[in-house]
Amino acid sequence: MSNFFQLVRNEQMKLYSQTATWVMYGILAVLVIGFAIVLKVNGDVNGGDYGGNWEKALQEENAQLEKQMKENEFAGDYATQQIALNEYRIEHDIAPGGYNIWDFVQENQSNAAIISLFTIIVAAGIIANEFKWGTIKLLLLRPISRTKILFSKYVSVLVYAITMLVFLLILAVICGAIFFGIEQSAQPYLYYQDGTVQEMPMIQLVSIKYFLGSVNLVMMASFAFMISAVFRNSSLAIGIAIFLMMAGNSIVMFFADYDWSKFILFANTDLTQHIIGTPMNEDLTLSFSVTVLLVYFVIFLTLAWAAFTKRDVANA
Amino acid sequence: MAEPAMQLKNLKKTIKKKPIIKGLNFDIYPGEVFGFLGPNGAGKTTTIRMMAGLMKMTEGDVIIQGKSVKKDFKDAIRHVGGIVENPEMYPFMSGWKNLLHYSRMMPGISKERMEEVVALVGLEKRIKEKVSKYSLGMRQRLGIAQALLHNPSILILDEPTNGLDPAGIREVRRYIRQLAEHQGVAVIVSSHILSEMEMMCDRIGIIKNGELITIQTVKDTVQQTDRNELHLEVDETEKVKGYLKEWGNEDVKTENGYLIISVTREQIPVVIRQLVEKGVNIYGANVHHSTLEDKFLDLIGEGAIE
Ligand SMILES: Nc1ncnc2c1ncn2[C@@H]1O[C@H](COP(=O)(O)OP(=O)(O)O)[C@@H](O)[C@H]1O
Ligand SMILES: [Mg+2]
Repeated sequence: MSNFFQLVRNEQMKLYSQTATWVMYGILAVLVIGFAIVLKVNGDVNGGDYGGNWEKALQEENAQLEKQMKENEFAGDYATQQIALNEYRIEHDIAPGGYNIWDFVQENQSNAAIISLFTIIVAAGIIANEFKWGTIKLLLLRPISRTKILFSKYVSVLVYAITMLVFLLILAVICGAIFFGIEQSAQPYLYYQDGTVQEMPMIQLVSIKYFLGSVNLVMMASFAFMISAVFRNSSLAIGIAIFLMMAGNSIVMFFADYDWSKFILFANTDLTQHIIGTPMNEDLTLSFSVTVLLVYFVIFLTLAWAAFTKRDVANA
Repeated sequence: MAEPAMQLKNLKKTIKKKPIIKGLNFDIYPGEVFGFLGPNGAGKTTTIRMMAGLMKMTEGDVIIQGKSVKKDFKDAIRHVGGIVENPEMYPFMSGWKNLLHYSRMMPGISKERMEEVVALVGLEKRIKEKVSKYSLGMRQRLGIAQALLHNPSILILDEPTNGLDPAGIREVRRYIRQLAEHQGVAVIVSSHILSEMEMMCDRIGIIKNGELITIQTVKDTVQQTDRNELHLEVDETEKVKGYLKEWGNEDVKTENGYLIISVTREQIPVVIRQLVEKGVNIYGANVHHSTLEDKFLDLIGEGAIE
């Protein structure tokens, strides 16, 4: 086991000795800080400010929404939810807050897509590069099984992704606190599910979003890792994985009419739909999605394992 | 003789139905430097890749310190250090970090041991520099350093003198001899250059088109080739031929007006004195050593690569 830990340490050392890795952190930092500055300067963040008499403002908003619903039947869903949320606020005396640190942290979760991209690049290279550099020969000429080396590399990719997510989270918290303040940060998050309004502490929402948002990241990284092990070519792995990541939702939409579309990986990667939303298809329960994800996961890793352990190192 | 450190048993490799290695059998003993000699494409690297577990064997096995590479990979390979083909290191890390990387992959390698191998290959001054700044010779030395980290009892070096200048080659030869003689390491060195092999090996196995043609101890080959060609410039060549045949030199050739006979070193003055006594005018006499190189070329034949 300590042996395995040393292998992961090695992989991390190699990763962080490459300039490209630090450039990735740089890009992420620029995105988070830049986003904070743009928001602050444009002042969009004060849109939710209702001033002193927020209860009256919300009542007016509800009256407006009800009128809209009568005139236009398509306004239905959104209006019903908004009315319910507003009523809940008035009833429980929860003032709609201005934009604060948690809103910023929460919005920054969208940068997980960038982290996915970077993780795909790392996962795609971690095996293929050893072949490209020719170092695979010396790496395998050790009394360590190929299986162990493969999994140390996989774990290393996950460690990298987690480190980046933590970096994002910390940076977002710091920037959020500096630019948007920590007032009203104790207010809960309200959401509408199964016909009722639910309450959740903001920190819990943030955790859920970051955690569940990583599912897609892990799946795409595993996919890139598998391609990298099978084809020993990082560009190919990066290309295919990024294409699928971008096209994922379109693929699901395109086949949405077919019953089997629920088995498509990308129909299941967004687990947040089960927890703070409503899934697009009633067959898509949380346990169904988790099962589908696990099956894909096992397939990816098995293919990577078979390719890495069974094939000759002939051309490196 | 001692137990062999490594044994090849009917080792075969077929790639895409083409037989590349066609059944190699030989043993390598502790304390000897075994040269694996053959022209490019003969199958040296392929054989070494199988010894190192990088390629599967189609048939046969490699036994290292009694353990099968096929069945008992970890226990077999822990005795082995090596370089396969080029000494590829991680260019973006320092020499020291490269060694650290490999030291973590085997138990019980201390900082002191790392410093020791760095000193052995003489890289102390540059070890903190990135490998991308190293010359090929320095990378070759770092390659040897990583191979020695865990005190292997078998060292496999595939073309370790490739790209080295004569001083570098001499140095590699010195480490190799020292490891074999003083530490009892069994060293396997491959090369396509015979003269290098002659200088550093105890035994040389010649491989051609995936087959072992012969194994010769280097002393043997020196004795066998201890025959010299004596080139004589004389007039009356036919008469002289007759004398020579009379004295037991059956095989007399004529080339560019020279008579060529094959003699040992001791026979040279005797032949000349006898010819002078017969009143033959000798205008010139040259001695050519027939080298192992000639022998090597004879053995592998022209157009050695199919
Ligand atoms: N992966 C491979 N696929 C097909 N043929 C190969 C492969 N690797 C080596 N060979 C062939 O095997 C033969 C031996 O190659 P190699 O072991 O590299 O020779 P050497 O190291 O003696 O120069 C060559 O003819 C080469 O073309
Ligand atoms: Mg070779």
